[in-house]
Amino acid sequence: MNSKFKLSLVSLASVALLGVGLSQTVNAQDDQIAGGEEVEVVFWHAMNDAHQDWLVEATEEFNSLHDNVTVVLENQGNYGALSQSLLASVRSNTAPTISQAYGEWMLDYEANDQLVDLTDFIENGFDEEEPYEDIFEVFREDNTFGDAVYGLPFNKSTRVLFVNNDLLEEVGVEAPETWDDLLSVSETVYEEAGVIGFGFENGLQHEFPMWVKQAGGEFVDEENNEVLFNSEEGLKALTFINDLINSDFGRIAGEDEYLSGPFTTGDVAMYIGSSAGIPFVENDAGDMNWTTAPVPTDVEAAAPFQGTNITMFASATEGEQEAAFEYMKFLVNGENTVSWAQTTGYLPVRESALESEEWTSYVEENEVFAAPASQFDIGFIEERVPGAFAMKNAMQTSLESMIYEGLDPETTLEEMSQAAQDEIDRAQ
Amino acid sequence: MKQKSHIKGWLYVLPALVILAIFTLYPIYKSVVMAFYTDYDFFNDIVYAYGFDNFIYLWEDPLFHRALRNTFIYVLGVVPVSIILSLAIAMALNTKINFKPLFRMIYFIPFVTSVVAVSIVWRWIFHGDYGLMNYFLGLVGIDPIRWLTDPNWNMPALIILSIWKGLGYNIIIFLAGLQMVNTQYYHAAQIDGANTWQRFLNVTLPQLAPMTFFISIISIINAFKVFDEVYALFNDRPGVANSALTVVYYMYNKFYGEWDFGVASAAALVLFIIIFIFTMIQMYIGSKRVTY
Repeated sequence: MNSKFKLSLVSLASVALLGVGLSQTVNAQDDQIAGGEEVEVVFWHAMNDAHQDWLVEATEEFNSLHDNVTVVLENQGNYGALSQSLLASVRSNTAPTISQAYGEWMLDYEANDQLVDLTDFIENGFDEEEPYEDIFEVFREDNTFGDAVYGLPFNKSTRVLFVNNDLLEEVGVEAPETWDDLLSVSETVYEEAGVIGFGFENGLQHEFPMWVKQAGGEFVDEENNEVLFNSEEGLKALTFINDLINSDFGRIAGEDEYLSGPFTTGDVAMYIGSSAGIPFVENDAGDMNWTTAPVPTDVEAAAPFQGTNITMFASATEGEQEAAFEYMKFLVNGENTVSWAQTTGYLPVRESALESEEWTSYVEENEVFAAPASQFDIGFIEERVPGAFAMKNAMQTSLESMIYEGLDPETTLEEMSQAAQDEIDRAQ
Repeated sequence: MKQKSHIKGWLYVLPALVILAIFTLYPIYKSVVMAFYTDYDFFNDIVYAYGFDNFIYLWEDPLFHRALRNTFIYVLGVVPVSIILSLAIAMALNTKINFKPLFRMIYFIPFVTSVVAVSIVWRWIFHGDYGLMNYFLGLVGIDPIRWLTDPNWNMPALIILSIWKGLGYNIIIFLAGLQMVNTQYYHAAQIDGANTWQRFLNVTLPQLAPMTFFISIISIINAFKVFDEVYALFNDRPGVANSALTVVYYMYNKFYGEWDFGVASAAALVLFIIIFIFTMIQMYIGSKRVTY
């Protein structure tokens, strides 16, 4: 190594160092969050495994960028536990600064004046390169309650069709695009390969709105709090589901709990599940050749968007609010929302992110990520109604009577819509 | 002097009393009062109206009736079988058999293991396709039973799990009781010509009466309060189509799921009254029958 080369290396390194130093000073100047006072932001979440690893890393990065702000992650285990802990903590004035929350939870806390309206933060807090409006409309709407905005989207997923390519190729069929295809493909797979063609995940009450909308019907009317699925289309959807489960070539997860198990062992050729399940299937699939496809459609195309937002609790001080909002924004900036999506199977929440080189080239290499992101045009977020928990519980009971006790779809639909309406009325 | 020792006594029990007051008495008081809140701002703790609406709601709610019925079925299914089985096993363990400590440990393990862990194992045992239970039933020619997904078999599955889980504790108590029975009684009975059955009926059972009394009270109270087993066995669900919905599970859903704090508290109060009545009846019977 000659001395000239060495010298140039050293100077290169010092330039790089200088660069780092400069960018840090720039950051330190830029980020006088909360006027520079020391702030701690507590973030309750329910992310595990790969999802949690990403979150920890991103949070460390955020903390290193801001000297006076510390975001503390507190994992509550799962969504059920998170919901219970939130209830107890808000009641006892020990709520976290921010938390993951479903739209329906936010509806409840909002009704009790326990959330911070983010409208002002949003108006002043977003950069011009990455404006608030860049976030997909469905996600913005999920956080908008009247004139107020109570959260920013975080982990958003959609439902997709998981397909075992090996099995479908073996019997010479393509992935289904319509309900009719779904039936015929499942039947062919069963008859020629002896494998169950299609499976539903448990908890059909959460997926039922999608089937009703695909049949051309409506689920509930959010404005008038009225159940709308007791219709011809609703019956069509329910009959389709029931017939498929009862056929030789269809099933429901049942005791297996999740279909990713039977799917990766080759015991079921296709199933509809959350895109957030992609990393788990990938983990277990081994050599199997599999992919995802958009959900099959009927009269209408419709794909539900699910998952939580991050919301902020009213007990936070002004400084905490400011710092927390900065963090919420950071998690869904262009760069982070893409890397989050690549790691977890959740969706990028920004339109610009979906068009970015980083995302498009990634999808080209990893085609399982194409289907979820292709569904933005047909995506919907379930209507929010009061008493959603009790409504879904009542629906589940009726659906289970149909699936496991052989109640006919007509009666089930009648019972289910009545029970759902009762719960909504009671909660008002 | 007498006064002084009084104060000293109170000081000794003070720490326990404070803890009891904060964590037991106050919550009990609060949940009783809450049962009468009909219009309530939970977060700010403001009560706008009191009344009996929550009890009327329970009276009319078919789901609560179902929860009550299921709970009674559960109590009837678990308690008698559990007591009889544990007495039988305790007597077997009390004879001169080999490896007695080993057996005692085997029966006691379920009691000290966490319900959640145990339930995961039982979910596998009860699995319709490759569960152990159906495998053994298959050996004797019984068709596979869908323990976890057939609403008619959810309750039996739950009862089997609970009996197994509670056995160890009851056995230990009975065993202690059996070891205290004076062997003189047996010798005397033998001299009188009593056979094994007669000795069991006239010596063992009366001598064990205090234990049986204790176990039956504890078991019934615990059985009425069943929740963990349901929650874990059916994976955060009260069985298929509410077939294993118990009163405590109902309360849990009302409180945490529906934020219906008044109804949840009212249900708790109803359950308390039921348990109280049953315990009173048992005490009454106990005072008549437990002569030893």
